[in-house]
Amino acid sequence: MPESAEEALIEALRAEHLDLVEEARVIRPKRVAILARREGFLDLARALRDEHGFLHPVSAGAVDYPKEYRIQMIYYLMNPSSRFMLTLRVDLPRDEASLPSMTRIWEAMSFHEREAKEMFGIDFEGHPNMVPLLLPPDWRGGYPLRKDFEGEGAEP
Amino acid sequence: MQEETTIKERIFERYHIPMPIYNVIEYIAGWARKYSIWPIHFVTGCCSPEFMQVSGSRFDMERLGILPFASVRQCDCIMVVGVVSRKMAMRVKYLYEQMGEPKYVVSVGACPTGKGPFYDSYATVKVDEVVPVDVYIPGCPPRPEAIIHGMMILQEKIRKEVKVGARVG
Amino acid sequence: MSEPEIKPDIMRISWGPQHPMSGQTRILLDVDGEIVHRLIADLGFTHRGIEKILENRTFMKGIIPIERMVMVDTANIGLGYVLAIEEALGVEVPERANWIRSMICEMARINSHLYAFGLQAEATGYFPAVFLWTTVDREVLLDLFERLTGARWSYNFFLPGGVNADLPEGFQDKVIEGIQYLRGRFAQYWDAMVENAIFEMRCEGVAVLTREDALRLGATGPVLRGSGVDMDVRRDEPYAAYGDLNFKVITETAGDSMARLKVRFHEIGQSLDMIEQVANEVPGGPVRTRAPLFARAKPGEALSRVETARGELGIHMFTDGGMNPYRVKINSPTLRNMYVFERLAELDEVLIADVPVVINSIDPWYLDSDR
Repeated sequence: MPESAEEALIEALRAEHLDLVEEARVIRPKRVAILARREGFLDLARALRDEHGFLHPVSAGAVDYPKEYRIQMIYYLMNPSSRFMLTLRVDLPRDEASLPSMTRIWEAMSFHEREAKEMFGIDFEGHPNMVPLLLPPDWRGGYPLRKDFEGEGAEP
Repeated sequence: MQEETTIKERIFERYHIPMPIYNVIEYIAGWARKYSIWPIHFVTGCCSPEFMQVSGSRFDMERLGILPFASVRQCDCIMVVGVVSRKMAMRVKYLYEQMGEPKYVVSVGACPTGKGPFYDSYATVKVDEVVPVDVYIPGCPPRPEAIIHGMMILQEKIRKEVKVGARVG
Repeated sequence: MSEPEIKPDIMRISWGPQHPMSGQTRILLDVDGEIVHRLIADLGFTHRGIEKILENRTFMKGIIPIERMVMVDTANIGLGYVLAIEEALGVEVPERANWIRSMICEMARINSHLYAFGLQAEATGYFPAVFLWTTVDREVLLDLFERLTGARWSYNFFLPGGVNADLPEGFQDKVIEGIQYLRGRFAQYWDAMVENAIFEMRCEGVAVLTREDALRLGATGPVLRGSGVDMDVRRDEPYAAYGDLNFKVITETAGDSMARLKVRFHEIGQSLDMIEQVANEVPGGPVRTRAPLFARAKPGEALSRVETARGELGIHMFTDGGMNPYRVKINSPTLRNMYVFERLAELDEVLIADVPVVINSIDPWYLDSDR
């Protein structure tokens, strides 16, 4: 049975980086989802950009699962030649969520990581300009997009 | 503490102009002032395209004398068009303080009036928590006819003002 | 405030949150004479917390706040959200509804590109009247929207399962009349504006973005296509009726402000052709399959991508079995393009007088980047 290009990509990733990839599946044609481990995340990202051609950064965001004590950080990437969209996910523990910054690899993730920091409280190590993006600079109210956020935050 | 006196009383005392003539002068002054409201070009939210259509060619706002202008010192009205977020609320206050008297505030749309569709958001503010508002225009977005009607209500309010300008006395 | 430090011989100008161009944002220019050394975008002045409030709305009610993300282009944004809901609930859409959806999305795209074109003309300082001409042209489209849906800008016409109502009597003829009027106007705009020597001097060669930089920095929409990259979600992952409509993806190779404007211009021409094709060939049938008003979705996720006028919008919806979505992540096109805008001062020489033209050639809508 001929393998689709998405499955070929997953096989190649599993073959080269078995220890870094926890789970990988094809959601739809041209959509691939990869759940990676936190250790070695930077190496996997570098391999995706250099060897598999995911040069075009799309976005990054996070989802909070308080009942499972984790926050999942998702990076959306695009391959301009094969037009695949990849969602690269990693689970972080809720109390000390920190990840090496992906701005080393895809520069345009800068704005999205700034937003994830102020909305969820994830620390990105090595980010060049970690200042709040959307919230006022004197915001004292907590992390708005976490599920246990209450109230309205700092005064105007 | 000095009491505030109106311009009318001062001029009456000094020049002994009889009241009926002064009422005519005041009517003309009110008519002139109400047909030259210059709002500041300050569109914060999604009602902005509707505001631009109102100042466009079909629902021309300029025939009422309303010219959106960029410099805050030369304007006399803030039309807060659209949702005011927390970061913006401080700037609305600065702009209000920088305008010269007499000044008016019009809240266009459902969002500055009462937060609109974002009523339970952590990041929006009602504009009358920050500056005093003269006219509220509801709608999401309000139709151009509604915006013009709201500005005409402001014009009526200006025409009826007895005490012109800053406090005297 | 939270800004980077200034070098000693550089002056920092704050293009403050209140400015005569469209939208509210603060852009800091580090200038040395006339040359801009660095651009810093201070976003967040129109942040409304849409992602948080969507978690408090049911699927159907969530269409109302999300359409207010970009007011000139509400159809495309609403369609992105509705496609995500349909993927999450597993609802099928009849063919006639798909064609009507495409027609409305293209009309909204013309609306938005007219706005961008008028603003770029106004930004040169020389053609502010053009912006008023475009308001008249937009009235033609707004009248058509009002005839069909009852509202001018934010019509909430797309629902999970189709569209809200069928085309009224005589609507297709009115659409064709409107298209012929707009075609005449665009021919006039091309002659008067785009082929105008002064406009060319202001826009050609200004802020050139090469193909590699556009890909590396994550540009999207006309900004990406103006640099020669041939990516368009309508052709790559067809949704609604785009698989059946004939259109070309417009690219230009120059990468400067004029190229981005020309991409938008030719896209308007393509949209007019598509609307005419729909008005002539729309198939019959029902326009809606009923989805329950308060539906529950199975736990899972849905990721939909649409091509709005400004670029690619992604809506990633996570569901957990309740009536509200668990989390909605919005991948906004303007946020991506604003990062490109910040880097343009380093990639190419930008003068202070060029900054309004460059901003409007990127065509940001700050309510979209701030959500």
